[in-house]
Amino acid sequence: MCVGLSAKVVNVKDGTALIDANGAKREVSADLLEDLEPGDYVMVHAGVAIAKITESDEEEANDVMEGLL
Amino acid sequence: MNEQAKKARDIIVNYKGRPLRIMEVCGTHTHEIFKLGLRKLLPENVELISGPGCPVCVTPVGFIDEAIWLALEKGCVITTFGDLIRVPGTEMSLAGARAKGAVVRPVYSPLDAVEMARQNPDEQIVFLAVGFETTTPSACLAAETAKKEGLTNFSLLTANKTMPNAYAALEGSADAFLYPGHVNAITGTSICEDLKDKGVSGVIAGFTASELLTALAVILKNAEKDEPFFVNCYPRVVKPEGNPPAQKLIEKVMEPCDTEWRGLGVIPMSGMKLRDEYADFDARKKYAMPEIKGRPNPACRCGEVLQGKCKPCDCKVFGKVCTPEHPVGACMVSDEGACAAYYQYGGI
Amino acid sequence: MSEKTVTLAHGAGGKQTSELIDRVFKAHFSNPQFTADDAAVLNIGDGRLAMSTDGFIVSPFEFNGGNIGKLSICGTVNDLSCMGAKPLYLTCAFVIEEGFPLDKLEEIAASMEKTAAEAGVKIVAGDTKVAGKGQVDKIFITTTGIGRIMDNADTSGTYAKPGDAVIVTGDVGRHGCTILLARDEYGIDANVDSDCAPLWGTVESLYTVTNDIHTIRDATRGGVGTVLYEIAEQSNVGVRLNAEDIPVDPAVKGVCGMLGLEPLYLACEGRLVIIAPKDKAPALVEKLREGKYSKNAAIIGEITAENAGRVVMETEIGAQTMLPQPGGELLPRIC
Repeated sequence: MCVGLSAKVVNVKDGTALIDANGAKREVSADLLEDLEPGDYVMVHAGVAIAKITESDEEEANDVMEGLL
Repeated sequence: MNEQAKKARDIIVNYKGRPLRIMEVCGTHTHEIFKLGLRKLLPENVELISGPGCPVCVTPVGFIDEAIWLALEKGCVITTFGDLIRVPGTEMSLAGARAKGAVVRPVYSPLDAVEMARQNPDEQIVFLAVGFETTTPSACLAAETAKKEGLTNFSLLTANKTMPNAYAALEGSADAFLYPGHVNAITGTSICEDLKDKGVSGVIAGFTASELLTALAVILKNAEKDEPFFVNCYPRVVKPEGNPPAQKLIEKVMEPCDTEWRGLGVIPMSGMKLRDEYADFDARKKYAMPEIKGRPNPACRCGEVLQGKCKPCDCKVFGKVCTPEHPVGACMVSDEGACAAYYQYGGI
Repeated sequence: MSEKTVTLAHGAGGKQTSELIDRVFKAHFSNPQFTADDAAVLNIGDGRLAMSTDGFIVSPFEFNGGNIGKLSICGTVNDLSCMGAKPLYLTCAFVIEEGFPLDKLEEIAASMEKTAAEAGVKIVAGDTKVAGKGQVDKIFITTTGIGRIMDNADTSGTYAKPGDAVIVTGDVGRHGCTILLARDEYGIDANVDSDCAPLWGTVESLYTVTNDIHTIRDATRGGVGTVLYEIAEQSNVGVRLNAEDIPVDPAVKGVCGMLGLEPLYLACEGRLVIIAPKDKAPALVEKLREGKYSKNAAIIGEITAENAGRVVMETEIGAQTMLPQPGGELLPRIC
């Protein structure tokens, strides 16, 4: 439904964040996230950072599977 | 593949439980599942059905007609997410309208459309606001920004949709849902908890290979227990409370309305429209648009495909008259669309 | 083909482009020399000549790593090279928009000369037309070239055989990505430059390893994916790719991730797809990696008897899926 892009925040200024995904950079809106800081990872959709995230999906899989087995 | 992903893969490949129908609601899930060849791993008794979660696919014919009316009758510049450009309207698609002189520009974000309005005060810019809870905040930000700056040449043609009532319309279509992770990133997990209380099972899934394998493994493991379940398998992105500032913004700028879903018909209160305070940015009001009713091609079975009632290959026009180059129904347009995905990846 | 007018999709290099060519051009131009390969083979005197022509309308006309002039030489030089032909002579025709800056025209001519010199080809005739403001977009260039086919070379899109290896001469999609960024329509910034390069030297080096090369194609418009589908169809074979072996620059991957695009469908202007017997492939790749324009050469898959006409991917989770067929205009997929 929604292509999301996980990217690293390079800097934040006036409600706008510069994000970096593998060297592809773009300014996106940071209006919907509080206390965004350089170095944070975010999920970006349609030019808006919609969630602060942890970078790796590996740890997550660990945690989720842990509860399962 | 990491160790956990391998474990998850083993659970999936070796599943011997009761037959299960799992519906992925999100078009990007459909896309990634095909891209990874995930269906090929499933045992025979597990079926993955593609549901109505691609905004392009559920956009009704009439919405395209409205956009073309704005472009050709009112001379507006249409800005849109790329995949909407090839969706067929009653007479033509936006690509067809472009060949007749309409100005249609794909954009990455509605905020880019606002920027275009800022820089081209002589042009009337209209953004085609489609999408679910994930995408709606970006359209609301665009309206809010335009209002704050007093832009008089920017408006939205809205067809935003929300999931909760759609799940009700889909009741019984599947044994478990793969909930759309990025929608839940905005709305949080309460809606899934509520569905569980109503007896509907599902997990919130991410989009990487590891996340999708994990989510499916969790469904298969839980299905053994034979009672409704809900697990958030995408906690690195989805928090229980979702994104409260985004929720507040949507609440401020838009309000629920009845809306038409291509193939599913009108689902009450499953859409979002701009509130009266934002009427100046509502293209329908701004250009006093007459009521435009689209006429879909009667042979197209996109509606039943979206409800999991039939597979794309059961449709008479699929792959013959209806191909990605010449789509009849919207499900053939977007790479996310169930028909396009079956056509592109399904042959092996 | 049901359209009554020409659309942008007809120019995107995919299925609709071939439909247009079949319906209009093949129908009218049909003769024994008319070709679906990059260049026609002509038997004149005691040798075989290859002849090719290409029009260039890139916007913007300057980009990271080149300009329309360099591109117009590389395009035709590479089409000839793919037939195993040493490029000899080129002609060029310019259509220039009224008001075009002269110094830019000189820059373009200079890079044409420089690229031609590198490829060992002479520009021997030209034509200049100026069109009124708005009648063309700044500058269009058409180049036509002839080359002599090496006696030991015999390649065609119809020669791919099951068991052959599929080689690319470098990371894919750089030119397409560069142009996308240069148009600045999506506000994305990345350090990517075009792979645009004249590849006669690259082709020549292949024949120092073996004469047994079945197919050479330059993956221009439509990218490596489109070329592979064409070869699969022309040779009536399947292509199996290993997703993880396909070289893609990280920044290109990043841009594609943002816009939901597939790098295999982005244009290259300095990349060859080579089909050759599997036992020759490692030596070919080794040779290629010594070359200036093919340092990242890699074996990315093989030709199969099954799945004829299709390109199949071996994915990271150990399953198979199809590479979507090339189609229409490249549009970013966002929601």
